[in-house]
Amino acid sequence: MKIHFEASACVGHGRCYALAPEVYDADDQGHCIVKFEVVPPELEAQARAGAANCPEAALAVEDGLSGGARAASARPSG
Amino acid sequence: MTYAPPAVNPDSREANPYRPDVAADPLAFYDQLRTQCPIANMEGVPSGTHIISRYEDVKFALRHPEIFSSDVVAVDIGQDRPLIPLQIDPPGHAKYRRLMDPQLGPKEIAYLESDTRALVNDIVDRFIGRGSCDFHAEFSVPFPCTVFLQLTGLPLDDLERFLTWKDNIIRPDVPLGDTQAAQEVRYATGRAMYEYFEGVIEDRLANPGEDVISRFVHGDLEGRTLSREEIADVLYLFILGGLDTVTSTLDCSIAYLAQNPSHRRALVEDPTLVPAAVEELLRLHTPVMQVMRVVKQEHEMHGVRMLPGDHVIVMLGAADTDPEEFGQTAGDLHVGRDANRHFAFGGGPHRCLGSHLARLELRVALEELHRRIPDYAVAEGAELYYSPGIREIASLPLVFEPGPTLVGAAS
Repeated sequence: MKIHFEASACVGHGRCYALAPEVYDADDQGHCIVKFEVVPPELEAQARAGAANCPEAALAVEDGLSGGARAASARPSG
Repeated sequence: MTYAPPAVNPDSREANPYRPDVAADPLAFYDQLRTQCPIANMEGVPSGTHIISRYEDVKFALRHPEIFSSDVVAVDIGQDRPLIPLQIDPPGHAKYRRLMDPQLGPKEIAYLESDTRALVNDIVDRFIGRGSCDFHAEFSVPFPCTVFLQLTGLPLDDLERFLTWKDNIIRPDVPLGDTQAAQEVRYATGRAMYEYFEGVIEDRLANPGEDVISRFVHGDLEGRTLSREEIADVLYLFILGGLDTVTSTLDCSIAYLAQNPSHRRALVEDPTLVPAAVEELLRLHTPVMQVMRVVKQEHEMHGVRMLPGDHVIVMLGAADTDPEEFGQTAGDLHVGRDANRHFAFGGGPHRCLGSHLARLELRVALEELHRRIPDYAVAEGAELYYSPGIREIASLPLVFEPGPTLVGAAS
């Protein structure tokens, strides 16, 4: 799983690192820092939850280790 | 309550969110707005005040300050200059946020948690033995205000004065709809606030401390310090944000949990649910029902043309309860929600500066309150009056089993 972060959209709501502290961190302005380029399998659920709760949709996760064609929205369906 | 005509009139496309009956129970109003007139006109205003309500539209408005500006024209509340940073749009806005955000980031305020927890218990001790309280007056007001005074280093002795000021600005005590009288109260209050701030700024310049005002006064803004006027413009907004919105959120949340015991019991039994519950309470109740914007570039939404100079009421509460975003449980408290992208703190570049502090206060309050007073109800016969705009409850009488104080106990 890869994480796409649109830094210009981040305004520091801080939901990502509140919900998924092992995947995301805060810089000194409270904006998101993504800790991984490729997310370890055991942290995929965290990565997904953090992205799904970003009110600015600044984060998206893409399934597949090497960033294959199968892109998945961070937002759960339904 | 007998109000006519209805708060939303789909035929004339008029709506009025500033009514106590709407503030008390806004869900039906929000639903009607979103489904029947997604761009409504403010009732009684000839033209050019639009109400935006659907999640996607609200999101767009918040994220496009070049079209929907937050500048001083959007809200006149007795100030001489734009409030900083709220009424400065990008790109000028970012430099102020770069100075201010680090003082109120989640890591920077984490040190407040233990004092805040002790404060909640001190306040609960004042009424727990009685088995009843007016939760608004005895908890929702003093708790966030005391945190604010600790953060800013402003004197506790002046609290009553600050509370009067913020009430004068946010909900002036004039007949409903008398906008001229309201503006007179706000303007006079503004004079008093500016005069008071001069003394505060003088003091912080001479005697800098660790408080957040000292940090603003001495902080670096692209190679210079803030001018006295700029600091006053920050403080003006600070008094309003710091003293009112958490009060309203606590009022709405505790009233809801008092009336919905199954949700309350879930939090009592499993306090780890509290952070998610805080987000849901913020979303479902969105105590700051709307934010104001002013149109800078002509824009069309749902066939309605918005012209430069038009005012826009961005109805955050309607967006936060939109089934298109939150599904069929949009109108319910659903703590297990997978995605909760609510805008209770606004969104886009003007996202609430104090949101991390607010979340800390709300979480600690709900954890400690439910530990000390697990079972409570609204006193029989009490009528809850919600103020329009920012939904505080004038009086929230609660009853519960009396409990022991913590005096003498370790805390």
